[in-house]
Amino acid sequence: MRRDEKATLVERRALSPDASLLCFRSSFLASALRPGQFTMVRLPEAEGLLLRRPYSFCDAEPDREQFSLLVKEVGRGTRALARLPEGAEVDCLGPLGSTFTMPAPEHRPVIVAGGVGIAPFLAFSRALRAAERDATVLLGGRTAHDLYLREEFEALGMDVRCATEDGSFGEKGRVSVLIDDALAGPVQLYSCGPTPMLVKVAELARERGVAHQVSLERRMGCGMGCCLGCVVYTSEYVRCCSEGPVFDADSIQWDRDRHPL
Amino acid sequence: MTKPDLSVTIAGIHFRTPLIAASGTFGYGTEYLDVVDYSAIGGIVVKGLYLEPREGCAPPRIWETPSGMLNAIGLQEVGIEKFVTEKMPRLCELDTSVLVNICGSSLEEYAELARILDDVDGVSGIEMNISCPNVHEGGILFGCDPNMAARVTEAVKKKTSLPVIPKLSPNVTDITAVAREVEAAGADALSVMNTIPAMAIDVETRRPRLKNIIGGLSGPAIRPIAVRLVYQTANAVQIPVIGIGGIASHEDALEFLLAGASAVQIGTMGFVDPSVWRKTLDGLEDYCRRHAVAAISELTGAVET
Ligand SMILES: Cc1cc2nc3c(=O)[nH]c(=O)nc-3n(C[C@H](O)[C@H](O)[C@H](O)COP(=O)(O)OP(=O)(O)OC[C@H]3O[C@@H](n4cnc5c(N)ncnc54)[C@H](O)[C@@H]3O)c2cc1C
Ligand SMILES: Cc1cc2nc3c(=O)[nH]c(=O)nc-3n(C[C@H](O)[C@H](O)[C@H](O)COP(=O)(O)O)c2cc1C
Ligand code: FES
Repeated sequence: MRRDEKATLVERRALSPDASLLCFRSSFLASALRPGQFTMVRLPEAEGLLLRRPYSFCDAEPDREQFSLLVKEVGRGTRALARLPEGAEVDCLGPLGSTFTMPAPEHRPVIVAGGVGIAPFLAFSRALRAAERDATVLLGGRTAHDLYLREEFEALGMDVRCATEDGSFGEKGRVSVLIDDALAGPVQLYSCGPTPMLVKVAELARERGVAHQVSLERRMGCGMGCCLGCVVYTSEYVRCCSEGPVFDADSIQWDRDRHPL
Repeated sequence: MTKPDLSVTIAGIHFRTPLIAASGTFGYGTEYLDVVDYSAIGGIVVKGLYLEPREGCAPPRIWETPSGMLNAIGLQEVGIEKFVTEKMPRLCELDTSVLVNICGSSLEEYAELARILDDVDGVSGIEMNISCPNVHEGGILFGCDPNMAARVTEAVKKKTSLPVIPKLSPNVTDITAVAREVEAAGADALSVMNTIPAMAIDVETRRPRLKNIIGGLSGPAIRPIAVRLVYQTANAVQIPVIGIGGIASHEDALEFLLAGASAVQIGTMGFVDPSVWRKTLDGLEDYCRRHAVAAISELTGAVET
């Protein structure tokens, strides 16, 4: 069951110069969403945007009737959303798309996230924690302040390891430098982030025979499976909004769309 | 005052409301079931179909522009056979009229699709997308040449007793020439209009926003052009016209009706606001009451010039 719900912005927290965590009130979405799913957000008309923009659910607190979105400003839509005043209302269509699935009991979950790609994993980590599962979380970013929500994952007791391209925090380099160590033993990988990173992680996982769920981003028109604007190539074009956004990484033919955005 | 009659009949097809879902924007009809109030929808035009399934264009396929969007989906579709066996039974369960939008690379392909659809239960009519390249004529679009548009209409008419509704392209010098030719060839009604060819470029990377380079522009940005084309078309032919282009509200729908349309289709704005159907229908009903209009069909062509 999906709905187009009014959600009220109750709190905005700046995480870096261009990223914010936005907390919204909507009892329906807070309890209906599953980790990995997303919502299509429509801003007040005055913002002058036409299409909705897709955002992963970052966190859910059903008891407080709240959910949050992690927003990185990359263009008009993300900027307008990140700058909404507290108390503003937006329309959120959701919950949409596929979900992360729990790792088999013998598999240790390893989460790999680049930048804002960490968004869907806070809710997922809570679900893992609720099932008494530990996870390793590999965070990558250009610089220290791109390692969003690091403390939240640490507070959940997850094994958090970081890499920055400028070496300002954790290992120097891309997040892939952390993967080799993390793949020891039976592992289930989860990833989200920039396409080049996902391609790299998928190659490594395939070489090692590691199961790998990946959350993909595409431009989206409807989020409902109708416009066919959001496709991803498997053995044919499938819809990121409906068959995804979470896919089995082995099903994706990465060389078919290197520049999908 | 009694409840105004919002239903319309076009080429013998009854639509319980004058709001029809536009081809390519409402999938195969059932995708929006949990979110949209289907009772406000008078008919559904399904995604364009060829005989065989098609892969479509490489992404990126869409881009937002001021008050509009560009798309180059490349007619990704499931093919007629899968449509008939898997999609049509589910469409039949909806209490709404179903128009099947057909495409072809040749006259023969259009004709064969029409022949197949003639026997399919639940199909109310055929909308012909004539903005498709004709492979036998160097890829020129059927709809850009009045003569070719007429020939393909005639070929389809021969194979079916269903109402046939060519969907005209705005990308022509004189839409009334195409409209008159397809009317003479037997068209039962006309859909006006398809998207406008357009382009956008990312100046940082210097790459086109769409992989296909050129796409079709839709949404409110194109509405005044569509209203003008509906006005000109409706004045040129006797058959009914269905107005399409950027409709977002009952005022927009009314503009098309007054310009000469008998019903309208909504596409892009359904992506933006799934409640556009209910809001637009309620707005039309309220307008009819305020203006003492007993039946919405009275408004067709009622613009005072
Ligand atoms: C399933 C899904 C989940 C997402 N989750 C998040 C999230 O949790 N937090 C977050 O900040 N962002 C997320 N995104 C990306 C976000 O939707 C885009 O950044 C946003 O749509 C860009 O809109 P804009 O108006 O700011 O950019 P525009 O001005 O439209 O474009 C600016 C740039 O962003 C690119 N872009 C446009 N649409 C998308 C898109 N859908 N995905 C990625 N890049 C895009 C454009 O190609 C362009 O280069 C998600 C995308 C998807 C598909
Ligand atoms: C994503 C998308 C896909 C479309 N696919 C088709 C199609 O398959 N066949 C067709 O005849 N028109 C297609 N159209 C055109 C629409 O049916 C409609 O004519 C056009 O979008 C203008 O209406 P609107 O401004 O309300 O969207 C498509 C439009 C969009 C936006
Ligand atoms: S966004 Fe429209 S089909 Fe996926």
